[in-house]
Amino acid sequence: MSEALQVREQHRTTASAWGGGESPFAVPWAKLMMWLFLLSDAFTFAALLTGYAAMRITAGVWPGAGMKAADFFHVTTVVGPMTFILICSSATMAVAVGAARRGDHRTTVRFLALTVLGGLAFLGMQAYEWTGFIREGARLTGFVGELGGKIQPMFPATFFVITGFHGGHVTSGVIYLLVKTIQASRGRASAESVEITGLYWHFVDLVWVFIFTLLYLI
Amino acid sequence: MAEHHESVRDGAWYRTYVVTWFWLLVITGLEIATVFLGLPRLAVILLLVTLALMKAALIAAYFMHLRHERLNLIFTIAAPLILIVILFLGVARDALNVFFLRQ
Amino acid sequence: MAHVAHAEAQAGHELSFWRKYIFSQDHKVIGIQYALTSMFMAVLGGLLAMFIRLQLGWPGQSWPLLGRLFPSGMPDGQMNQAFYLASVTMHGTIMIFFVLTTLLTGGFGNFLIPLMIGARDMAFPFLNMLSYWLYPPAIIILLASFFVSGGAAGGGWTAYPPLSALPGAAPGSGLGQTLWLISLALLILAFLFGSLNYITTILQLRARGLSMMRLPLTIWGLFVTAILSLLAFPVLLAAAIMLLFDRIGGTSFFVPAGLLIGSVPVDHRGGNPLLWQHLFWFLGHPEVYVLILPPMGMISDILANNARKPIFGYRFMVGSIVAIAFLSFLVWGHHMYTSGMAPVLGTAFMTTTLVIAVPSAIKTFNWLATLWRAKIRFTSAMLFALGFLSLFVTGGLTGIVLAQPPVDIYFQDTFFVVAHFHFVMASAAIFASFAGTYYWFPKMFGRMMNERLGKWHFWLTFVGIYATFFPMHYAGFMGMMRRIYSPQIYAHLQGLQPLNVFVSIAAFVLFAAQFIFLYNFFRSLFRGPQAERNPWRATTLEWEAPSPPPHLNWGETLPTVQRWAYDYSPPDMAEDFQPQAAPAAVPTGRSREGRGDGGHAR
Repeated sequence: MSEALQVREQHRTTASAWGGGESPFAVPWAKLMMWLFLLSDAFTFAALLTGYAAMRITAGVWPGAGMKAADFFHVTTVVGPMTFILICSSATMAVAVGAARRGDHRTTVRFLALTVLGGLAFLGMQAYEWTGFIREGARLTGFVGELGGKIQPMFPATFFVITGFHGGHVTSGVIYLLVKTIQASRGRASAESVEITGLYWHFVDLVWVFIFTLLYLI
Repeated sequence: MAEHHESVRDGAWYRTYVVTWFWLLVITGLEIATVFLGLPRLAVILLLVTLALMKAALIAAYFMHLRHERLNLIFTIAAPLILIVILFLGVARDALNVFFLRQ
Repeated sequence: MAHVAHAEAQAGHELSFWRKYIFSQDHKVIGIQYALTSMFMAVLGGLLAMFIRLQLGWPGQSWPLLGRLFPSGMPDGQMNQAFYLASVTMHGTIMIFFVLTTLLTGGFGNFLIPLMIGARDMAFPFLNMLSYWLYPPAIIILLASFFVSGGAAGGGWTAYPPLSALPGAAPGSGLGQTLWLISLALLILAFLFGSLNYITTILQLRARGLSMMRLPLTIWGLFVTAILSLLAFPVLLAAAIMLLFDRIGGTSFFVPAGLLIGSVPVDHRGGNPLLWQHLFWFLGHPEVYVLILPPMGMISDILANNARKPIFGYRFMVGSIVAIAFLSFLVWGHHMYTSGMAPVLGTAFMTTTLVIAVPSAIKTFNWLATLWRAKIRFTSAMLFALGFLSLFVTGGLTGIVLAQPPVDIYFQDTFFVVAHFHFVMASAAIFASFAGTYYWFPKMFGRMMNERLGKWHFWLTFVGIYATFFPMHYAGFMGMMRRIYSPQIYAHLQGLQPLNVFVSIAAFVLFAAQFIFLYNFFRSLFRGPQAERNPWRATTLEWEAPSPPPHLNWGETLPTVQRWAYDYSPPDMAEDFQPQAAPAAVPTGRSREGRGDGGHAR
């Protein structure tokens, strides 16, 4: 009887998703690894944003008496459209992944290229935003010029560090996507690898959701 | 593999993405509108954070296909995020204390 | 699976020397590389500790010979303050990040994970190689900081701002601190790559039949550690980025307004130095569990093996590892009771800290229950495992004392704290590493270590540790500050001088005893008797492979696991252990029920 129990137990173990010999999540290891990396990267951004929150709460008035963060940026004309473009590039990426899964190489390459364009447009607009902000007197160490004494010095610093860190992610994402586009156009990108690229790109978009909300709007 | 996901109408496979994309844009519009509505400060913050979380959930669920993964992967990814909330609460509470001390 | 494809691609041809031993993608070679590099760093870190003890034992004494070796740090043989503070900082940094973390997760983790789960290699061998090769550059940058102007960082291993944020604040706050940050950032990347690999490997590449609840506790410890690193190190990375911006870019994340350096006001304003402490300890506390969870796992396996009994309460052991890991994220504030943190947070953190004692106690009692009425084999590995238990309890008890804010306000930054964490974390983790080395050495190198020397090493180390660190409790009671350069300038500390001399001599003996180990290690490497496949008669999978295991570990077929990892002394069997992969034997006579925990914990 105990022998039968043992055999049954062994069967139950090997039949379970967690019983070894296969992925408990039914995903390839590279995809799981990308998910884990994104999870850890989320903590990096979370710590930066927590630092920003701490600066802001400590300061009390932010960015200065009677002012709103939104006053310093072109929320409706540049930042809004930037967000729009990043969402669109995420959507095109999703389509590219879908097409790659279906084995439709032409659509994959086309939509990957569109995603790259979206990323580049986002970077260009971010550069424009930075230029405008710097012209208003923002420096890494605080505001210069007439607004100098009235604005919290950490307002521009948190802005540059956090959007800069995100911009770095977008830039590496664009390079990653370019490589993937070239591979796909030569038929050398597997559907799985396109999907993993997609995960990274969507994550960049997802982080932007919070940066957009917390840095520009609130 | 491709044939598995083929639906009746050709092109229907990317409908989810279009719908997600549409809602993301709607929420973004709502977010920008919130800022200019002149609501009380606390309401603006709560509203904006809720909307941002909704957007994040949409991206993760549909663009990143998390909804179509096994439940155990969803939990594996989502559960650690609670630690971010804890980090934020601890730091924010203390920052508030510093703010009061400096008044 | 891609992993297997890689395996097949590599099996065909002989690898060149460089690919085989230097830029190797074999997890065993990487593990050994990590271990040897960590051993080198351990000697360095130990040497720095000797400098600290030299100064504390005989403050102001001149050592002409050392003066010639370190002309800038010890002019005329007298240690100057900056060199002392740099030694304290670097001792902590090196021992915590560059020795224990790398040795336990990089060394033991890399070597053991694929072997113990029955995989051919890590999920992503290339990333694994990259992880190791970020480590030497980090070391070079860290050590280079000793030779820049102002010397190495002197702000303590926790690098609290504003000392670490303002380059002019102290001699060690200059370029040395910047290099410290860069070196740490590189090492964080290495840990990140490692953790990604470990988690993925353990989840995805377990052999058939090796369910999570059949894993040896070593793997559980390493697995949960990898999760901790994955989630906690990014927070330090973000904090390091902000601190670098404060130092180089002139921002003020961590620098408040109104600071003076040499009566010159600094430009920074608007920052909050407590933010660094929060972010640092959000990593820092999980980090000490990164150092203690793998030892807990390794100790469990070594205890069960040498007691020839199943580990007591396997499920509770796993549960307490997970509980400790989760709680470790909720207790960071207990390092900040005296920092001016909001008092209400102090109470909250006290509660969570006291709660963490529960899973730790569960583990301790389970280890004791495992030993209960066992026929213990006192091998060197087992002695160090028992030593771990002793040190962990001694240090853990003072942890409960320190968890309470009113008590901690008195003890904060005294030698009591130094004694506490050197027992519970540092020595305990070192003991587990020794236990692991004596235990797995045959598998790593195919030779046995000398048991006689091992026992000498154990007794000298064990007595040395207690003689060094136990009196520190008393020094702390008397109010001796932990990073103080010249205790004799305070009247209330002058009476402690004989004690400090005793501690210093004990520390020198302790350090010297480690050369027995080094001699034993390197001699056994070349001259030790050949090890058989399973010298300790252990159940876990790594002992199924030859000693040392060949490239790709297993022959044609991967092992299939039949049972949990602790089938020691099963009833009615000829052997007193049953390997995990042994085909199911039909037990005769008595039923296998009623075997206590072993019956269902599989």
